[in-house]
Amino acid sequence: MPKEERRRNLLRRLTIGTLSIAVFIAIWYVIAWIDKETVVIYPHTVFATLFSSFTTAIPWRGYLMQQEVLASLGRLFWGFALAFVIAVPLGLLIGYNWVANIASKPIIEVLRPIPPLAWLPIFIVVFRNDIGPIMVVFLGIFFPLLLAMVFGVRSVPRELIEAAKTLGANRLAIFRKVIFPSTVPYMMNGIYVGLGVGWMCIVAAEMMGVRGGGLGDLINASGSSGNYDVMYAAMVMLGVFGFLTTEVARILSQEVREWMGMRAD
Amino acid sequence: MQKKIIAAIVAVVVIVAAIGAALLLTSSLPPATEKEPVYYVSMGVGTMKNALSTNASLGGYIAWEPFGSDGIVSGVGHALKWSGEVKPNHPCCVVLVSDAFLSTSLGVNLTVRFLKAHIDATNWMNAALADKAGGDYTKLVDMAMKFTGRNETVVKAALDHMKYDYAISQETIDYITWFAEQFVDIGQMTNASIIARGYSSAADFADKYTDASYLADAASVGTSSTMVGSVRLGYLTGDLHQLAQYVARNTTNFGGTSMFAKYGVNVSSATGAPYSSGPTEMDNFANGNIDIGYLGAPPAILKHINNPKVDAKIVAQANTEGSALVVLPSITSLEELRGLVVAIPSVGSIQYLLLQVMLKDAGIRLVAG
Repeated sequence: MPKEERRRNLLRRLTIGTLSIAVFIAIWYVIAWIDKETVVIYPHTVFATLFSSFTTAIPWRGYLMQQEVLASLGRLFWGFALAFVIAVPLGLLIGYNWVANIASKPIIEVLRPIPPLAWLPIFIVVFRNDIGPIMVVFLGIFFPLLLAMVFGVRSVPRELIEAAKTLGANRLAIFRKVIFPSTVPYMMNGIYVGLGVGWMCIVAAEMMGVRGGGLGDLINASGSSGNYDVMYAAMVMLGVFGFLTTEVARILSQEVREWMGMRAD
Repeated sequence: MQKKIIAAIVAVVVIVAAIGAALLLTSSLPPATEKEPVYYVSMGVGTMKNALSTNASLGGYIAWEPFGSDGIVSGVGHALKWSGEVKPNHPCCVVLVSDAFLSTSLGVNLTVRFLKAHIDATNWMNAALADKAGGDYTKLVDMAMKFTGRNETVVKAALDHMKYDYAISQETIDYITWFAEQFVDIGQMTNASIIARGYSSAADFADKYTDASYLADAASVGTSSTMVGSVRLGYLTGDLHQLAQYVARNTTNFGGTSMFAKYGVNVSSATGAPYSSGPTEMDNFANGNIDIGYLGAPPAILKHINNPKVDAKIVAQANTEGSALVVLPSITSLEELRGLVVAIPSVGSIQYLLLQVMLKDAGIRLVAG
């Protein structure tokens, strides 16, 4: 694409994007006006609450907004780290080894559709309020990542493996130099999908009473006390950070795919 | 090629780990130069006792009866304070009627009839409690066990802490004012929002939000051989404070007719009832699920003033006092709760507000878990 055209394209996208946000905020105003702020609060009130919450802790919470965000990000991070460490090797094994594949299939297929939140009551007892929510996030990220890895291994062209074999590669070398590298784009995609699910889980996970604050806990508490301006402010932060983390993962995933010569989708 | 990829992965992992470590370090930094606060988490009242015995970070819980007595009787904890010691005679659960229901053609009539049964049930319970050797006490204990799902020992211990009262006195109204002021004090309500709701002050609000006239009218209500109409009733999970509604709905102990039916009121549980906490019940008032409900006065106040701005009236009390702060046996003062977590039914509940007040009086801050 010529430079000029690309710039014009970008400009057009920015304009449309800005307009759509403006329309969204306008609709928000109208709904709040119709509702007389019974449950929908005016955007300017929400943003005023949001901005002040970065410098003044909400008295009955005792945390600044950034601390609530960091608490949630921390849980997301640990859930992700745990899922990554377990799902990647396990996915490689299941994809590569047919015995492991057949043995694990029924278990995975039965466990996978169970919403991570279903485990929450058990996790709260077993892992307590501090680790429990992390484990829920872990489950949310684990299955998408695991399946992506299995699929990644299975998608390695047989010719590549055969070629490596004829060139004298042993099983370990094939695994290390052919199979594992080919799964990387799938892994990145699994991370992208998993993080999205993780964010959805973390909020509900935090609704069970967590230590150290968190956006989900803040939403629940402020909803309970009817401080809806705080609640919407927390929801805005969730949207922003959910978008940022998954967007980073998406871009990384796309870059890796392009870099490895796969068609970006 | 694969070396590059591995390097890239390592780089990504290192970056993510660094961000994570930074996040965790900054988020776990304690607020500087301050003594440790007490933390709260929301929890279902039914799980609090077990949580206290298994969860190391939990120092105590505050709940409605019999869940306080449940922990005390089992030895998991002891009552550090009963709410009556902190605020003698404070209103606890009240009967709230939605304005929407009152404005229906039969609304006022049904409310008055409902309250007549509420008065009868309360009087019957108090008489039964006064004579522990009597047959009515046995019936009362039996109904309390069925309603709360707790055993006889727990229920009897809990009943000893019950003060059932329906009357709205000046003291009640003064306490409603005080509750509202406490909410303003902790920042969950503002004086501006009280004024925005059409009241000149917290006292004016308390005066207008309570209405004892229905209770007065109830005195002259006679029985009815036919059903006058239906009421969708809101109440909380196994809340012994609200036993009056369970007694008044019972058909077997009172000659085949419930007290509500005796006065021509067909009472059914509102959608979603019993609720896990007062604030949740208020949300169900807001969405029109409930006509009349039993719940703590504080959530009834908070969610009338704050969102979702429920329009309703407090028309009677159900009980006074009766919430215990149950703590681990090793803890003997509020000061020792610093750094520990206390479980509450939910933010905005009366137990939450009472805990706030207890700690504030002791100079201790209460913050989210």
